[in-house]
Amino acid sequence: MIVKRKRETTVASKPKTKEDSPPPVDNAQDVFRRLFEAQFEPLDLPAPTAKSTNSNEEEDEDEDDDSDMSGSEGDWDEMSDISDESNQVEVVEHTGAYMAPEDRMDKKTWKAFMSGKVLSDLDKPSTEPEPTSKKEEEEDAHDSANLKHDLALQRLLKESHLLDSADDLAPTGKNRLKALDLRMQSLGAKTSLYAQNKMPTAHRRGIKAKAESKEGRRRQEAKENGIILEKPTKVHKSSNNGRRERGVSGASVGKFSGGTLNLNKDDIARVQASGRRMMGGRGKGKTRGGRGGRGGGGRGGGRGDKR
Amino acid sequence: MATTSQPPLRFTSHHNLVYRLVLSTLTGRTVHISQIRSSSPTNPGLAPHEISFLRLLDAVTNGSQMEISYTGTVLVYKPGLITGSMAGTGASGGMITYEIPSNCNRGLSYFLIPLCLLAPFAKAPMKVLFTGPGVITSSTQTGDMSVDSVRTAILPLYKQFGIWNNLELRILRRSNTGPTGRGGGGEVQLVFGHQVRLPKTLHLMNAGRIKRIRGVVYSVGVSGSNNARMIETARGILNPLSPDTYIFSDVASAPLVSAPDKTNPQAKKKIGLGFGLSLVAESSTGCLFSADVASPPSGGQAPEDVGKQCAFQLLETVSKGGCVAPAAATTMFTLMTMGSEDVGRLQVGRDVIADPNVIQLARDLSKFGAPGWGIRDAPDNGDGDVIVSIVGRGIGNSTITLKTVLANPEVSPQQFTPSQQKEPRGSPSDAVDVAGFWPSAQRQCTPRNPDVLRLSNMNSTYRSTAT
Repeated sequence: MIVKRKRETTVASKPKTKEDSPPPVDNAQDVFRRLFEAQFEPLDLPAPTAKSTNSNEEEDEDEDDDSDMSGSEGDWDEMSDISDESNQVEVVEHTGAYMAPEDRMDKKTWKAFMSGKVLSDLDKPSTEPEPTSKKEEEEDAHDSANLKHDLALQRLLKESHLLDSADDLAPTGKNRLKALDLRMQSLGAKTSLYAQNKMPTAHRRGIKAKAESKEGRRRQEAKENGIILEKPTKVHKSSNNGRRERGVSGASVGKFSGGTLNLNKDDIARVQASGRRMMGGRGKGKTRGGRGGRGGGGRGGGRGDKR
Repeated sequence: MATTSQPPLRFTSHHNLVYRLVLSTLTGRTVHISQIRSSSPTNPGLAPHEISFLRLLDAVTNGSQMEISYTGTVLVYKPGLITGSMAGTGASGGMITYEIPSNCNRGLSYFLIPLCLLAPFAKAPMKVLFTGPGVITSSTQTGDMSVDSVRTAILPLYKQFGIWNNLELRILRRSNTGPTGRGGGGEVQLVFGHQVRLPKTLHLMNAGRIKRIRGVVYSVGVSGSNNARMIETARGILNPLSPDTYIFSDVASAPLVSAPDKTNPQAKKKIGLGFGLSLVAESSTGCLFSADVASPPSGGQAPEDVGKQCAFQLLETVSKGGCVAPAAATTMFTLMTMGSEDVGRLQVGRDVIADPNVIQLARDLSKFGAPGWGIRDAPDNGDGDVIVSIVGRGIGNSTITLKTVLANPEVSPQQFTPSQQKEPRGSPSDAVDVAGFWPSAQRQCTPRNPDVLRLSNMNSTYRSTAT
């Protein structure tokens, strides 16, 4: 308690409170002062604020005063004590539960945690997202620009024959359509969009003949000049070898017409032969299945075996 | 199968029923469980959640047979192959939809934790969607942890056994316990996509120090300010101890379940309102400790109380020591037993192994033919932890065995024969027989709690504290 008092005495506000105390108390203080001055030497107290510069002895005397004072005075002292304490120390004790705004997790972390993933997998992704550096971003932009320029150059080289004047890189009108067509072909279109499909037969024949004669002339010239050309591509008519492709449910043997399956002699013989062949007859056995029927000798032999 | 000729293993009472069924499925032994609540005059026989679990087993296995007596007090279960969610076995789009009826009073973790034990040994990835009017995702008064804790505290443990790939537990809809303590309306999706031949042998003897605390706080159908209040209280307690504490908040609307009445057959009602908190502490060596508290279905508890209770519960779990929390101990021990034929070691707190559930698990394991556990005091450890040595049975996954043999003919066949006849490779001094393990363990390390000792000496007639 004494220690506390000593600390408080350095503060100027305390005597002020005493001055402000009600008049009867003030009178009592005067009485006490007079008594004190009678015993010792007179005190010079010009102003209450001057007390802050007072010596320690006087403070001690003051304390004596306090102890002699009435109970109400003591209470006032306690009050001033508390107010002084709160003014001095600004530490608040409730830091434990305090959550600063930066303590809260951001939405990404929340999502990572609250997703169905197992917790152990979460540790890595939480540290993973680093902002890409500015330099990298610049490089990326540079790369994409380069790519764009490359593409433009490629197109220009390919389609330059379309351009009347070299000044416009983005062709318009007919040229644009032709350029588009070229691009489609380079991307894998089989024929040009503008190839004519329908025309009179004579017209088509003419085109064909012209192409053939052109090719023939080229080959002729090459031969004369001793240039070796690529082999001529064989124009095969149709790949079905004379047999028409039938439907899935069509009969594999005979001819179906008018709701009846008509078998001629050959068909019957073929069916019978195929059964015998399976049983291990001699047979010529060149082929199996459909064409096997022609092996007449085989058939005969088979029958002979059976007898 | 050689196991079919063996006589069924006989058990009594409903205690540890789930783990008995899981072990039966894993080992392929038929079990005969009798006297299931036979002394109860009002509710004899199997409880609704136990029936639900049997149905779940039926859904994820192929060829299992179960017979329940007329009163439900006797159950014979003959396990089949664990197929997981293969096409053609009731899975639609690779996902088994499993519905839990509304009279279930256990949390979903009651089903999830045993299912996760089966899943690594399944033939195909285990994908189950839990739905229906009985799915409670929060923790319950019956002692089940919340689904959040299963995801954050149980599933990461499988990584230590080499099972880590494609594990997911999605909470599609949250639900607390219904008004009478039963029913909910949640929806949870489990994807367990990592099937292994054998879990790795585990050596975990350094618990480390707690480095971070994470948590999920959820409000279902009530104000989100409850979340803030729980977080504030829990952080107030935990932050001075661990500065890296973050609790994530999730506010969900109440699920609707159909409640048809006379006038309106399409009527629906809100169910499962409440809030709760799940906390997980992770140590520097990857050990996980969890705590779970939810508001009671009757209400009347302030969120501050829930937060405070949960924080203290977490501190208590951590204080029990060892590398395993009590809630995860059965998972760890079972996986270690299913592991390769090598001695795995695990340091656990004395209170954790003295838990009646763990002791019952040890007894059941020995009955299923697993070699005994060796228990010794942890060296230079003032906490009184013990080190449990468990020899794996090398059963593992029979379906993957077949695949491996077919794919790799160089592997000698005896490597894959069932190991039931083999002697354990652990040294005799290392392995103490479980049937008498407690007395011998008592010689080595006297448990602090005399009650537990008494309970364990009474032959499986004690009352489980968890239920």
